[in-house]
Amino acid sequence: MSEREFHPLVKQLLDGDLTLADLPAELRAQGEEALQLLAAVDRSLVELPAVPQRVMRALVRVPQRSVWRPWVLAPALAIAAALVVWLGWPASDTAPNSAAVTVRFVLAAPDAHQVSVAGTFNQWDPHATPLVRAGGNGVWSATITLPAGQHQYVFVVDGERWVPDPTAPAVDDGFGRRNSVLTL
Amino acid sequence: MITALALPLALLGLQQGIAERLAGRVPPDVAGIVVDVGTAALARGLPIDPLIQKAIEGSAKGIPSDRVGAAVRLVAAQLDTAAAALGEGGSALRSDTVAIAAGGFALTAGLSGRDVALLAKSGAPIPAMITGLRVAGTLAALGVPGAEAVALVSATLQAGRPASELLALPGRVQAEMGKGVPPAQAAAGLARAVAAQARHGPPPGRGQPARPPAPPVP
Amino acid sequence: MRAETEPADGEIVRAVLAGDRERYAQLVERYRDRYARYAARMLGSIDAAEDAVQDAFVRAYDQLAQCKDPDKFVGWFFLILRNRCFAEQRQRRSLAPLEAAEDVVSADRTDDGTETAERRRALQLALMELTADQREVFVLKHVEGLTYGEIAERLSTSIPSLKMRMHRAYDKLREQLREHT
Repeated sequence: MSEREFHPLVKQLLDGDLTLADLPAELRAQGEEALQLLAAVDRSLVELPAVPQRVMRALVRVPQRSVWRPWVLAPALAIAAALVVWLGWPASDTAPNSAAVTVRFVLAAPDAHQVSVAGTFNQWDPHATPLVRAGGNGVWSATITLPAGQHQYVFVVDGERWVPDPTAPAVDDGFGRRNSVLTL
Repeated sequence: MITALALPLALLGLQQGIAERLAGRVPPDVAGIVVDVGTAALARGLPIDPLIQKAIEGSAKGIPSDRVGAAVRLVAAQLDTAAAALGEGGSALRSDTVAIAAGGFALTAGLSGRDVALLAKSGAPIPAMITGLRVAGTLAALGVPGAEAVALVSATLQAGRPASELLALPGRVQAEMGKGVPPAQAAAGLARAVAAQARHGPPPGRGQPARPPAPPVP
Repeated sequence: MRAETEPADGEIVRAVLAGDRERYAQLVERYRDRYARYAARMLGSIDAAEDAVQDAFVRAYDQLAQCKDPDKFVGWFFLILRNRCFAEQRQRRSLAPLEAAEDVVSADRTDDGTETAERRRALQLALMELTADQREVFVLKHVEGLTYGEIAERLSTSIPSLKMRMHRAYDKLREQLREHT
């Protein structure tokens, strides 16, 4: 076996499955070398006292992240809980304010008793645009027609939880929360 | 409080209009702030719709009046910044209230005044510019940094692409992000694709635009 | 030991989702250091760890509606931080390899003598030469003190594959330490 590699028994020592005394005499030296390696592990705690304040400040800022690093979410986290679907193109390309677009709002909320969408298009009235249960798996939806243009919205669950659309672009609403953005 | 006698009739009518839109939706003290801020904003050529919207939103969300007032003032300040930035694209753009509102949204989403000014200078016709500003803001709301958002929208505007293609940009960036591409890279990749098509593809015009090739995934 | 009257994680998460943004600070305060050591050992720098932990908390806030089990926030948060650390390392590979390992050795251990500090630094440098996967299993077992079973559950992988990774790590560490002492 290669001199560069630890003997398998020494690896078991490193794993904590054996003690130094369990090793044959000819492996004791290697065993001690291995234990010295483990003794050099720094287990001291690291404290980050500035993090809470910095996080809360970052939440107030708009979602332009100046310290963005390229990173990938594990697939398990990227659940599509809601989506807004165009059901048609605007009638006219040259008059962005006059065309109407049909839009479907969808939210997966199996435990909810009541879901609506409130936004710039309905004066943020949580009673104006209720969603209905569509299908059996806790999915709620509503289809409405909106003028082409800029809209912001959130879902209102059980009349009290104002929840932005998890998969839509989000902007700071000026009150410490987020609004979802719909650009038609 | 405003002294009614000092104001011309048209302005009085306007203030009544603001008050009517707010009636029943915001408490009186919020209405007062919006009327004050809105009157001044209108005198500067700014749209007042975003102010009214923000006040109604805050009240609907149960936010205390002083915070709603602060948010309304912030929107007014953003509209001021947007208008100034748009001015770099000419006086017609500077006086278009829909464009200013779109610029204000872009600022809310995280673009800077400089970003808005850069877009304004792209020289696109006003309707396209309005859509471009909204889309740039939406891209920023996805996490695309200002520079890349402006570059992508500018490239699409300058290639003469139709509004539908502009409006599809955030969805395409989101699709790339879903594959793990960071927003900045996704936007940059799309911008390259737009520029490449502009150089080698068919001339822009009516009809179905050809699908540009998918940007390379790192 | 947490007092009986402190709210559970799930309660705070639900409050934040209902719009009470300020309460998120409670969660951040509660767990700000929990994985700081893990991030520091993985990234080889306390500064980088601070950035990673901060970013992960912000990301967790944005994705809070997707936390399937609010009562298991901390495990869900760990995965977000983990992904952040892995991606950070992919980016940093292009940077000068060992520039950052300097500040990982904790400042308050000078009473142990410079030799201990030197050995600690040497091991951290050697750790940075491993692949991220190898470094992670080493850190989780020998720094965080988890068993192979606990690591396997957390990373959704098998014990044999973890051991294979770890044993490869042992050999590489040995080689690195021999070359540089």
